[in-house]
Amino acid sequence: MTTTESGTAGGSDEHPEIDWVAAERSPEFRELVKRKRAFVIPATIFFLAWYFGFIVLAGYAPDFMGEEFITDGLTVGYALALTQFVMTWVLGWMYLRRADRVFDPLAEKAAEVALRAGHDRAGRFERGDEGVTRR
Amino acid sequence: MTWVAAVNETALVVFAIVVGVTLVITYFASKRVATATDFWAAGRGLTGPQNGFAIAGDYMSAASFLGIAGLIYLFGFDGFLYSVGFLVAFLTVLFLLAERMRNSGKYTIADVLAFRLKERPARAAAALGTLSVVAFYLIAQMVGAGVLIEGLVGIDFWLSVVLTGAFMIIYIVAGGMLATSWVQIIKAFLLMGAAVVMTVWVLAEIGWNPIDLFRDARSESADGQAYLEPGLFLSTPLDTVSLGLGLVLGTAGLPHILMRFFTVPDAKAARGSVMWAMVLIGAFYVMTTALGFGARAILGQGGEEAAGPTGNFALPTLADELGGELFLAIIAGVAFATILAVVAGLVISASGAVAHDVWSNIVRRGQDSEKEEVWVAKIAAVSIGAIAIIIAIAGGEGLNVSFMVGLAFAVAASANFPALLLALTWRRFNTTGAVTGVLFGVISSVALVIISPTVWPGADSEGGLFSWYDLANPGIISIPLGFIGCWLGTVLSKEQVNVRTFDELYVRSETGLGAETGTGLTLTGRGERARATAGATTTVPHP
Repeated sequence: MTTTESGTAGGSDEHPEIDWVAAERSPEFRELVKRKRAFVIPATIFFLAWYFGFIVLAGYAPDFMGEEFITDGLTVGYALALTQFVMTWVLGWMYLRRADRVFDPLAEKAAEVALRAGHDRAGRFERGDEGVTRR
Repeated sequence: MTWVAAVNETALVVFAIVVGVTLVITYFASKRVATATDFWAAGRGLTGPQNGFAIAGDYMSAASFLGIAGLIYLFGFDGFLYSVGFLVAFLTVLFLLAERMRNSGKYTIADVLAFRLKERPARAAAALGTLSVVAFYLIAQMVGAGVLIEGLVGIDFWLSVVLTGAFMIIYIVAGGMLATSWVQIIKAFLLMGAAVVMTVWVLAEIGWNPIDLFRDARSESADGQAYLEPGLFLSTPLDTVSLGLGLVLGTAGLPHILMRFFTVPDAKAARGSVMWAMVLIGAFYVMTTALGFGARAILGQGGEEAAGPTGNFALPTLADELGGELFLAIIAGVAFATILAVVAGLVISASGAVAHDVWSNIVRRGQDSEKEEVWVAKIAAVSIGAIAIIIAIAGGEGLNVSFMVGLAFAVAASANFPALLLALTWRRFNTTGAVTGVLFGVISSVALVIISPTVWPGADSEGGLFSWYDLANPGIISIPLGFIGCWLGTVLSKEQVNVRTFDELYVRSETGLGAETGTGLTLTGRGERARATAGATTTVPHP
């Protein structure tokens, strides 16, 4: 790398042989996107709703937030604030687990399919070149 | 502030240790950093946990350490609202941007936009967003640094600002992102350590029952039960919601945070680093309960004068009360390390916008050498640092910076976040949309803050340009405007959308296909830790 690769934001591998439109339409990529959306969209809606529920209550119902919860001194507001921390950690952990078990293998498969199609198309399918390694 | 003169020397020794350690790191890093990837992305050689600590160190500023504790000390529950928002924001980063940035970007957020849009206008827009955020954030940090160091150590304001700026410039110019990352990692350790020690100390002081924090704080506050309820600091409900929106979406548009995802070898490490950061940052913000409410319980109303009008000195005062001079000096040293790590992160991201986006790709149209690009980055870092020093000193301690961090988050949420998110997910999105979106976001955030009661017509005023407009936080208006700008620009322009490029960006960002892998760069050498991402079947070009 001696010169700046302008415009190649993706990095070192250009992959001119890959048909990206076909890759985007491949069943493997569609499956990855579908599974990812099935987690990310509901999870995003949930955390935004939970967080803004808390914020709206803090703004518009200060009296409710100041009520005693379980014991004198602990307020509903502080207890709800603590649930935000727990929610963040749990959702983060769930996403990581899902990504390791579901998204990564699917992404690997989609990438492999795109690469193989590209090699076939370019007519220079070389042995040992299609092995996709991913950690 | 009776303790200022007394701590001078001890604090200076602690400061010298902090500076000494960071300079040793910088020395080692300076011998390793050679290429542009080394300079801006630490050779993509950081592990997930390392980057997690670095994100925590990059993110939590003195506003978190001293500011939130001070807000809680003065206003109770409302201060803790900031703690919650600052953490939850990382879910936005994790779900929507972290891995995609890693898979499709190189050094700056502009890389992602320029991938599928017209290169020069897209980079110009992204650079505008980045530089606006950095400008507001950086000036707030520099003025804050001067006030804090002057108060804690007794060094004059102007000298404090110069020293902060000078060390930051040394880290970046000599050691690039590698040195910056390790300064941030060490700062995160120091910050967490200090918070844990203070929390345990406070709990010991009040008799180990955490609930007594609230009971004692309430009885020590003139506001009584209201101290434990919302509304003392944020009295306009809509403003509270607006603040929350700005915090939760703004983090996902902060250039210095997003840049950190380029420093790891693959998407897996990127998401792992967010989880590490969430654990650290969350643990820290939970502890702000003990720091803030504890300060109230232990110092009572007697500490209000020493804490100052913003409450920033509440925590140092508490440290002095608990452990005397030495502990106060240590807390001051941690605060100094905190500021250094944040300003270094901000300026290196700005240097990317100037050198990689504006100079290399807009001015030189990609015809410059990598060596030239890194040189320009270093010149940019020195210049930006110098400008920040000059503005901070010219503005002086009296400069009203309280709104600036909020403004930085608002610009990030209203300009950078919409453009990035839509570039990655909306097929129809085009260059005109990105440019108008960023312009809408930047202009509306700045304009709304200028006419807000906290700024108009002058510092510390209680006016506002319009009597009906009383929001200090513009997010609830400016964020939708940013998205509307993106949409309007897109649908009104006759620009041909290059669908094929969207497909390529989409597939690359979701699968990591063709993403640049790590070079195995570490502080001590170039190891064999380069790991392949999906599809990276060719070997990594070693510089």
